[in-house]
Amino acid sequence: MAQAVASPESRPSTGGTGRIKLRWTDIFIGLGVIMLIVGASGMVQRLTQGLAPTNLTSYVPWGLWVGFYDYLIWLEVGSLLVFTTLFYLTGASNLKPIKAYALFTGFTVVLMALIIVLFDLGHPERFWHVLVYPDFSSMIAWMVWLHAAYLVLLTVELALVLFGNGRFENILTILAYLSLPMGLALIIVSGSIFGVIATRPLWNTASLPLMFLISSLAAGSGLLTLLVVLFWPDKRDENYRMIVQRLARLTSILLAGGVFAAGVIGFTMLYKGSGSPIRAEGINLILSGPYAWSFWIVHILLGVLIPLVLMITMPRKPVIVGIAAFLSTVTFVAVTLNVVIPVLVTPDLEGLATAFVDPKLNVNYVPNLMEWLMLAFIFGLGSLIYGLGLRFLPLRSRHEEVNHG
Amino acid sequence: MTDQNEVKQASDVTRRNFLKGLMGGAGAAAAAAAFEVLADNPAVLLAQDDEALPVTGTLALSSAGEGGPIDVLERMRAELSRALQKPVAERRWVMVIDLRKCVGCHACTISCVAENKLPPGVVYRPVLEEEWGTYPNVGRRFVPRPCMQCENPPCVPVCPVGATYTNEEGIVEMNYERCIGCRYCITACPYSARVTDFGFTYNQDMPEAEGLILGQARADDYERAANFEYGKAYPREGRNSPIGNARKCHFCQHRILEGALPACVTTCIGRATLFGDANDPDSLVAEMIARPNVMRLREELGTEPRVYYLT
Repeated sequence: MAQAVASPESRPSTGGTGRIKLRWTDIFIGLGVIMLIVGASGMVQRLTQGLAPTNLTSYVPWGLWVGFYDYLIWLEVGSLLVFTTLFYLTGASNLKPIKAYALFTGFTVVLMALIIVLFDLGHPERFWHVLVYPDFSSMIAWMVWLHAAYLVLLTVELALVLFGNGRFENILTILAYLSLPMGLALIIVSGSIFGVIATRPLWNTASLPLMFLISSLAAGSGLLTLLVVLFWPDKRDENYRMIVQRLARLTSILLAGGVFAAGVIGFTMLYKGSGSPIRAEGINLILSGPYAWSFWIVHILLGVLIPLVLMITMPRKPVIVGIAAFLSTVTFVAVTLNVVIPVLVTPDLEGLATAFVDPKLNVNYVPNLMEWLMLAFIFGLGSLIYGLGLRFLPLRSRHEEVNHG
Repeated sequence: MTDQNEVKQASDVTRRNFLKGLMGGAGAAAAAAAFEVLADNPAVLLAQDDEALPVTGTLALSSAGEGGPIDVLERMRAELSRALQKPVAERRWVMVIDLRKCVGCHACTISCVAENKLPPGVVYRPVLEEEWGTYPNVGRRFVPRPCMQCENPPCVPVCPVGATYTNEEGIVEMNYERCIGCRYCITACPYSARVTDFGFTYNQDMPEAEGLILGQARADDYERAANFEYGKAYPREGRNSPIGNARKCHFCQHRILEGALPACVTTCIGRATLFGDANDPDSLVAEMIARPNVMRLREELGTEPRVYYLT
């Protein structure tokens, strides 16, 4: 049955003219295989030598991988929050053709996020301790439990959508409503992991979890827009242009709103009389420190300004909106990296960095090749799973196949 | 009687009087008298204050001789023995570090590394160096920084698996077997007193060699041998704990339980680091933390450290 409702990605690769058509499933599988091969050495080093080959130190204990983990949470939860809200709460049933794609994308991203954070542990083989010996005074315990529950919920939802033949709509509706508070909690908790740390003034603000939520919705909305542009079954459909236009508007509002909120918070923190020079120092480090390029060029220019201009000026051109959504979605990782790293490279105590000289006792951190390679391996794995899913799973709904196929 | 008189005389010679004597008009005569006394009783210089320590109770039975001025280590050992007689929950271990006496020799750091067999990249008690001012008005001080063993430790509630906790005596412990290595506690510690054991060894790049005392294999014998943190043996094998874990100072709890002072205390050449039971009103540390010149690091956070600094 699955083959009967095959997705457009699984159609023959040559058209009537004999020209080779590049399909998304091939791109994802090909990219996945390449990244797995390229990143294999990073994973081998991680498996055999633990965290030693990384550039992480005792004073900068979290880095590239934690930044990417949070980024992936933003994507997975944000895209599904936006989709579920639009589809179930606002009655945007015309989004149905993209439902399975949104769920499957979220599922793949959840898997990648969990694998990344698993290998960030000093003892990944003990991950189950959090399930068996949880201490719920810790935000990480909440996050692991919520994330595991979210993965289960998403898996069930996806399975019912793909293989339920439309028989479980009521259950799906309940699950979707359940995913809203669960997703919200997951995002808030992932922000609270940083927000509750009193010793890091730049993290320790009540606004941080809320900023995580706004950022997640903006990034997720961009991802959803991209999915519509990539996988909508019939691109000649006027419904398609209308949905792209509305999603572009929503993404623009969330992006602009997020930047505005972050700006207000940032300016408040920068105020000299605020009584927290360390907090101002942290903001300055983001704005003008060694990582400033990632904030100004990657996030603000490529992730906000260019997408905003493209989506506002050409909202009815799906390809342009797709490019804008891609830029916005991909570059959001600069935000999570700027949340995690600059705060940690500011030492707690004066003289700490020079008190005992050792490569693992310093406050300088730039991710090294091994860290990038391991990340490439996990993204390769995700890309391969995604490509295979596009090829073999009945992601395109039967309804759409009948009407538009 | 003669001995007692000499002791009394020694007790009366304080550092302040000694220095006054050296610099004052009495000059040579005072210095000669002072040196004479010190030659007989060098422990006077080891006393904790400008006044020689009072000698009372069990302290009089110290190795310095009945009623004699004693090395503060002797006093602290006696107090430690006394504290160990008490129920566990009635002890409150604190450390006092006199910044005026610390000369920045790093002996405490090294003794801690040796005692706990700490690998490269793991240090429990670095000595921070601070400089301030502009020439000619400059200042410099050394700040040893063990774990503060906070009464409200920020590192404890953040642990997702309860692998770190405060024991009955107030020491923040690690359960290495439970710890998953998420390093959340490290980010939460306001004193950067926790580190990750990345699994390095000192001789990992050493060439292989034949012989009994040369080469990696022989050196490994020592390096792989177990340490005894928390009273358990932790041989350094494979990726086993404490490799991959967060690690921290524990006031040498394994030594304390055997009646020995923490390694950093016994090796401090200036007797700048003191240790004892703050619940014992007669203890040296209880006296010291009642002083007006006492401070604790980052008190504004409300962590209530059990490490006090005299400034």
